[in-house]
Amino acid sequence: MSVLVEMFRNLLTMPSTILYPGERVPIPDKFRGRIAVSDEICIGCSKCSLVCSVQCISMVDSPREIRFKDKILLRKKKPAVKLFKCIRCGLCERHCPTGAIYLKNELSDSGTDKEVIAA
Amino acid sequence: MPEVTVPIGPHHPALKEPVNFKVIADGEKIVRLELDLSYSHRGIEKAAEQRDFIRVLPLLERVCGICSHSHSTVFVKGIEEIMQVEIPPRAQYIRTIIAELERMHSHLLWLGVAAHEIGFNTLFMWTWRDRELVQDTLEEMSGNRVHYGMNEVGGVRCDLAPHQVSAALERLPFLEERIHQYTDMVNDQQTMLLRFKGVGKLSREEVLNYGAVGPTARASGVDYDVRRDDPYLAYADVPWNVVTDTNGDVYGRTCVRIGELHESVNIVRYCLENIPEGPVRINAPKIAPDGEIMSRYEAPRGELVHFIRTNGTNKVERIDIRTPTLANWTSVAMCLVNKNLADIPVIVAAIDPCLSCTSRITLINTPGGKPGIITFDELRKRRQISDKGRGLP
Amino acid sequence: MTGLLPGLVYIFLFPGFVFLVMYALFFEFIDRKITARMQNRVGPPFVQPFADFIKMLGKEVIDVEGVDRKVFDAAPVVALAAVMTAFLYIPVFMSSPFGFQGDLILVLYLLTIPTVILFLLGWMSRNIFSSIGGIRVITQMFIYEVPFFLALLTPALMAGTWSISEIVQWQQQNLWLMFLQPIGFIVALIGLQAKLERPPFDIPEAETEIVAGPWTELTGRRLALMHLVKDVSLVTGSALVAALFLGGPVLPWVITPFWLGMIAGFGLFVVKTLAVLLVLSSIKVATGRIRIDQLNTIGWKYIASAALFQVAIVLIINYRWVSP
Ligand code: SF4
Ligand code: SF4
Repeated sequence: MSVLVEMFRNLLTMPSTILYPGERVPIPDKFRGRIAVSDEICIGCSKCSLVCSVQCISMVDSPREIRFKDKILLRKKKPAVKLFKCIRCGLCERHCPTGAIYLKNELSDSGTDKEVIAA
Repeated sequence: MPEVTVPIGPHHPALKEPVNFKVIADGEKIVRLELDLSYSHRGIEKAAEQRDFIRVLPLLERVCGICSHSHSTVFVKGIEEIMQVEIPPRAQYIRTIIAELERMHSHLLWLGVAAHEIGFNTLFMWTWRDRELVQDTLEEMSGNRVHYGMNEVGGVRCDLAPHQVSAALERLPFLEERIHQYTDMVNDQQTMLLRFKGVGKLSREEVLNYGAVGPTARASGVDYDVRRDDPYLAYADVPWNVVTDTNGDVYGRTCVRIGELHESVNIVRYCLENIPEGPVRINAPKIAPDGEIMSRYEAPRGELVHFIRTNGTNKVERIDIRTPTLANWTSVAMCLVNKNLADIPVIVAAIDPCLSCTSRITLINTPGGKPGIITFDELRKRRQISDKGRGLP
Repeated sequence: MTGLLPGLVYIFLFPGFVFLVMYALFFEFIDRKITARMQNRVGPPFVQPFADFIKMLGKEVIDVEGVDRKVFDAAPVVALAAVMTAFLYIPVFMSSPFGFQGDLILVLYLLTIPTVILFLLGWMSRNIFSSIGGIRVITQMFIYEVPFFLALLTPALMAGTWSISEIVQWQQQNLWLMFLQPIGFIVALIGLQAKLERPPFDIPEAETEIVAGPWTELTGRRLALMHLVKDVSLVTGSALVAALFLGGPVLPWVITPFWLGMIAGFGLFVVKTLAVLLVLSSIKVATGRIRIDQLNTIGWKYIASAALFQVAIVLIINYRWVSP
């Protein structure tokens, strides 16, 4: 009986499907999306590349002066993330001392290009 | 009619994961069956031994797509016990909330799949629709729908904000109402009762004999739940009941799971309302001392066991994962004999099998038809030979 | 309707071949849409069944090794021809011009052919799933056929004629047989559902048990044609039930211009068949699949006895009140 009630109620209401490209679900604040690096604050400590669970972060040369805790540091390297390999686990974000590497709150896929690098 | 061999699997519409039953049937009756489990061996235990405690957790979460929190919790629980660190109560509560939400989404999923196996796709659509609510809550709390990534050794990775708590609490009454509706549906939908009642019956003795766990065991009146008998996380503080049933058939397992859904809603509500303040993690040591531990956890499908041995480094020396599905297989194979061919999907689905989590070994038929174990190098060589044979690079 | 041309138009254009194919695909769309909406889904767009049909016609036909290709190709065509012929005897906007005394029996006979063909296809496929499915088809047929036939023959008993058109006329003068024979109506609906192999009687093609049963080895145009057979059977079955129990496409009073009566009759036909479809779809949505042994028990114990009971009632009524 409860099945019939629910059936005919559904017949009268709109479907609960979200028609994707037109409608979108709200993305929560904590959502772990595409990875990004802010170049201005990364101090090049390599911590992210050490903790990355799939080892998709490699450190590339990028000498630059960085302000960190009121000091000027000279960093040598910065991370380059292979988007295709990243599993969005968020470990790099969790362990980065400056918050330079982070997962954007944005629903976007990694695409099919294996060589895309986020930096 | 003479006996025929009906090959079910490794590719079959009823199976979402690869497994092979060679069913020898006499008309519609099953005479006997051969079971071949391991089609998706992933070497996950070996891979886990290569990674330190930070990097191993994302891997262990991916042992199973449904009970991902179970696998990481049982592991960090064991490691914390070896390290003898006590995690803050707020972290305990958050882990409990995620664990129970996970149980809810797993049981709702199961209910849909069980209905789908008897061709009742309507219930499948409805439970999966309502499961989205649970998934939304989980996504809000952790950042992902399936692999929550909440655990780390020493606590949880992120805190619950007050608005997340209130959003979750708002969803619970609606979910509760839906779960009540499912209780009614299961009890008065005639075709479901016809297909579930008396199918795959296991007596209490048989369950104890074959070592079945989880809802399968509890449906046969075995009053055993790790959450109560060996309390971990916040379960000791929360008022809740172990759901058992005496039917022992698929219907009983459905009742147990729906009862657990009710309990889970209550546990989540209690935890959300009474979550203590404080930090969510402590700085745990990077290195675990020598030790061995058998960590137990009540996953949605039953008792999950991780055996962990550490050797004073930042990696585990050995980890052995015993998934609940493995414990339940024997009982499935036993209760299928002499049953109807049409009951296979129902009985198999009734334990909520998770096959890829269970695969620990790969057996490959050599040309002589003899089972044996081959090494990775040999596998690779064969692959190269076969690729060359097909003209692939 | 006399003469060759109107007859040919009736067979090939309206309400025969062309209209029937369109209406059958439209029926499939309505069925799928209702199902989807009841399950809180969106459902297919309007062109989906047509697109599916055309697409499948163009797909490659894969031959099973060791199977006679010609027979495999011919079987769906024969089934389609059978159900389409059956439809010609069912009143659509007025009495069927081909109707004769006893066409009810012929329609029932023609409606059975697709089932037998399905069994043959399953049996010929040399595939274990298909064979089991084929056996299930034939087992199920033996179970539902008796109550279904009994239920559809009771209107004939009551109206005292074996012609569908005349039964419709009888209902025009008296009451709809749905109200006079409620048990027979329910049994007919259940039987129709079983004949069309829709849940809860989709045992022969139980996806989770035997893949697709007899349909497993059907590909390309064979599959398209068999799907069309199913849709046409759905239309024919609904129209048959509508004609026998719901008064068919005639109003209780006579509409003066002939063509207006025809249009009204056609409108009634559409409304009534859709009503039957709504009931059938609701049954489909509200139930799971039962097992063949359970169907055996239910079919012979309850449904067949209900049908027999209905026949007995009709006989008693006829004996006491109708015939002096
Ligand atoms: S989120 Fe991506 S880049 Fe960061 S640790 Fe995880 S896998 Fe590596
Ligand atoms: S992104 Fe963060 S962790 Fe990685 S190198 Fe820069 S500062 Fe260090």
